Amino acid sequence: MECTRGRFERDRHVRFMEMMLELLPSEYESQEINRLTLAYFVVCGLDILGALDRIDKDQVARWVLSFYSRSGTVEPGNCQFYGFHGSRTSQYPLDKQDLSFNASHLASTYCALAILKIIGYDFSNLDSNSISLSMKNLQQPDGSFIPIHFGAERDLRFVYCAAAISSMLNNWCGMDKEKATDYIIKCQSYDGGFGLVPGSESHGGATYCAVAALQLMGYIKANYISRSTGSSVVNVSALLEWALQRQAADGGFQGRPNKASDTCYAFWVVGVLRILGADQFLDKDALRSFLLSCQSEYGGFTKFPGSPPPDLYHSYYGLAAFSLLGEPGLAQLQVELGITALCGALT
Amino acid sequence: MSSDEEEWVPFSRRPGWRDVTPVPQDDGPNPVVPIAYREEFREIMDYFRALYFADERSRRSLELTAEAIDKNPGNYTVWHFRRRVIDALNADLCGELDFVSLISLKNSKNYQLWHHRRWVAEKLGPDSANKELEFTKMILARDAKHYHAWSHRQWVLQSLGGWEDELDYCAQLLDDDIFNNSAWNQRYFVISKSPLLGGVQAMRDSEVGYAIEAIAANPENESPWRYLRGLFKGHADLLIEDGRVSEACLKVLKTSNQRVFALSLLLDLLCHGLQPREELREVVQRLSSEMELPVETMDPMRSSYWAWRKSNLLPLPEAS
Repeated sequence: MECTRGRFERDRHVRFMEMMLELLPSEYESQEINRLTLAYFVVCGLDILGALDRIDKDQVARWVLSFYSRSGTVEPGNCQFYGFHGSRTSQYPLDKQDLSFNASHLASTYCALAILKIIGYDFSNLDSNSISLSMKNLQQPDGSFIPIHFGAERDLRFVYCAAAISSMLNNWCGMDKEKATDYIIKCQSYDGGFGLVPGSESHGGATYCAVAALQLMGYIKANYISRSTGSSVVNVSALLEWALQRQAADGGFQGRPNKASDTCYAFWVVGVLRILGADQFLDKDALRSFLLSCQSEYGGFTKFPGSPPPDLYHSYYGLAAFSLLGEPGLAQLQVELGITALCGALT
Repeated sequence: MSSDEEEWVPFSRRPGWRDVTPVPQDDGPNPVVPIAYREEFREIMDYFRALYFADERSRRSLELTAEAIDKNPGNYTVWHFRRRVIDALNADLCGELDFVSLISLKNSKNYQLWHHRRWVAEKLGPDSANKELEFTKMILARDAKHYHAWSHRQWVLQSLGGWEDELDYCAQLLDDDIFNNSAWNQRYFVISKSPLLGGVQAMRDSEVGYAIEAIAANPENESPWRYLRGLFKGHADLLIEDGRVSEACLKVLKTSNQRVFALSLLLDLLCHGLQPREELREVVQRLSSEMELPVETMDPMRSSYWAWRKSNLLPLPEAS
C-alpha cells in the first residue's frame, strides 16, 4: 500500500469507521462495558468526517434508546440514577425491564445523549427531568460524582459527564454547580494542570475534564487571553503554561511532563487551549506532522508513531484533533461538549 | 480461574453447573458496533447473567465472577456482583487482595480493579496499609508512572496511614529517574499532606534546596522547575524574596543552553515585582542583544506565547 505520510486520508478514515460500525474485532470484548462510548466514537467520528450518511439514524436512535432505563418516578431517598445503561452484557433482557438491575452510568449517559444530539433526535421525547433529578443522587458531599448508583471510583471524569449531560439537556437541576466547582479547584495541581482527584499528578485528560466542565458551567470566560487581567476560579496563567508545555519536541502532545507524545492528548490538551482561547500559541504544523506520523495506512490512528494497528479510541481523537487544527473538509467541533458545532447549535 | 496452559472447560460441561440455564446476550435488532465475541467470552457472560439475574450469592458465583473478571476486567457490574457475593459469604478478604494482585499481573490499568481493591482494604482497615503500600510499590517497580497505582497509594496514606517512609521512597524513585514527574508529584503530596512533616511551610526551605540541586543537574527537566514554583504557591512575595530562586535562574542562564524554564520563571518573578540586581539585569540584556528575541528563539515551538508573555511585562526597570 502506498505511503500515506504526507496528507490527511479522509476516505480511508471513513472506511475505517464504517468497518468499526459493522463489527468490532474480538479484542474489543473487554471494552464491551463501554459499548455506548465505542458507538459514540464511530458516530461522532463519521460526523467530523462529514460522512454521517453512512449510518441509519433511526436505527441508531432506537438502539441507543434501548439502553435507557425508563424510570417512572424519581423518589426521594431512592438513590438510583435513571440514565443509560453501559452495555448489554449485564443488562436485563430488553422485554423484561427490571429496575433492580439498573446500572445506568454517567459516561454511557453522556455518550448516549451525544449520539442522539449528533443524529438530530428530538430531546423533547426524553424524560430529561428524571435523568437530571436522579443524577443528583450521584453527587458526593465533596462535589464530585460517582458514575453509578451502587458506587464506583469518583473523579473529574464524572464531574465533566454531569456538566455535559446538564448542558445537553439544558437542565441543571441535577448538580450543585458550586460544589462541583469547589471539587475541580481542589484538583488543580501545584504545576497548573489538573489531576483526576485532589493530590494526583496533572494529566491531559483530567485537565480537559476540569476546564470543559468549568466552561459548560459558565466559570471560564471564552477567550481568556484577550482579557488576561480577568479573574478566574482557577489559576489560568499556570494552567496555560502547563498546557502549552505539553507539546513535545516531536510536535505531538504528551499527557504528563516527561512522557511520550500520544495521539489522544492532541485532542485533550489542544481542547483545553481552544477553550482558553489560546490555541494560536501552539505549533500547528508540528502537531500536524506528528498526527500524520500516527495515521495508519488502513485508516484510523495509532497511539504512537509506527505502532500498528490503529484502535478506535485513538482514531476518534486523531480525527477530533485534525478538526481542531482546521483540516479542510472536516466539521468543526464544539470542543467542550465533544460533538460537532452544528449539532451543538441545535440545543 | 482458568489457566492459559490448561484447556478451558465450558460451563456446560462442568459438573455442578447443570442446573444453570445460561442467559444469552440480547443485542436487539440492528445492533451498532457489535463485537465479534469469542466463544469462551460469550459462554462465561451467558452464565454470569444467569447467576446475576437470579442474585445467587454462592461459592460458584465467586468462581464465575473470577473468570468473568479475567476476561472482562472493566465490567463494573461483574465486580459489583462479586462484592455482594463476598459480603454474603463472608469470604476471606486477604484472599481477595491476592485475587486482585493476580488479575493486576495481566491488566492493572482499569479503574474497576482499583476501586475493588480499595473496597477490600477499607474493610480490612489500617492493618492493611502496609500490604497496600507494598502492592503499589510492586506495580510502580514495573511502571513508575502508573496513574492508578499512585492514586491508590495516596488514598492508602490518607485513609490508612503509613507515611513514615514516604519521603524516602520519593527520594529513591527520583534517584532512579529524576525526570519522573509522578515521583515529584508524590513528593509534593507528602510534604503538603503528611501529618509528620508540618506542611509546605515547614518543608519549604529544605525543599527549595532539593529542587535547585535537581535543576542544576538537568536544567531541561521541567519537573523540578514546576516543583520549585509550587513550593511558593500562593506566596509570590516569598518567591521573590528567596534569593536562591533568582540565583538558580541566573546560574542556568549563564552556564546552560537549556534556558527556557529559567527564563519562564524569571518572567514570573518580574511579573510579581522582582527588582533584578545588576548581574541578573546584565545577563538578561546580553541574551537580548545576542539574539533578537531570546525566549522565542530558545523555544521556537511556543514563540508566539513567549512574545505575548513579554508584551504583558513592563519594561525592565532601569538600574538606580
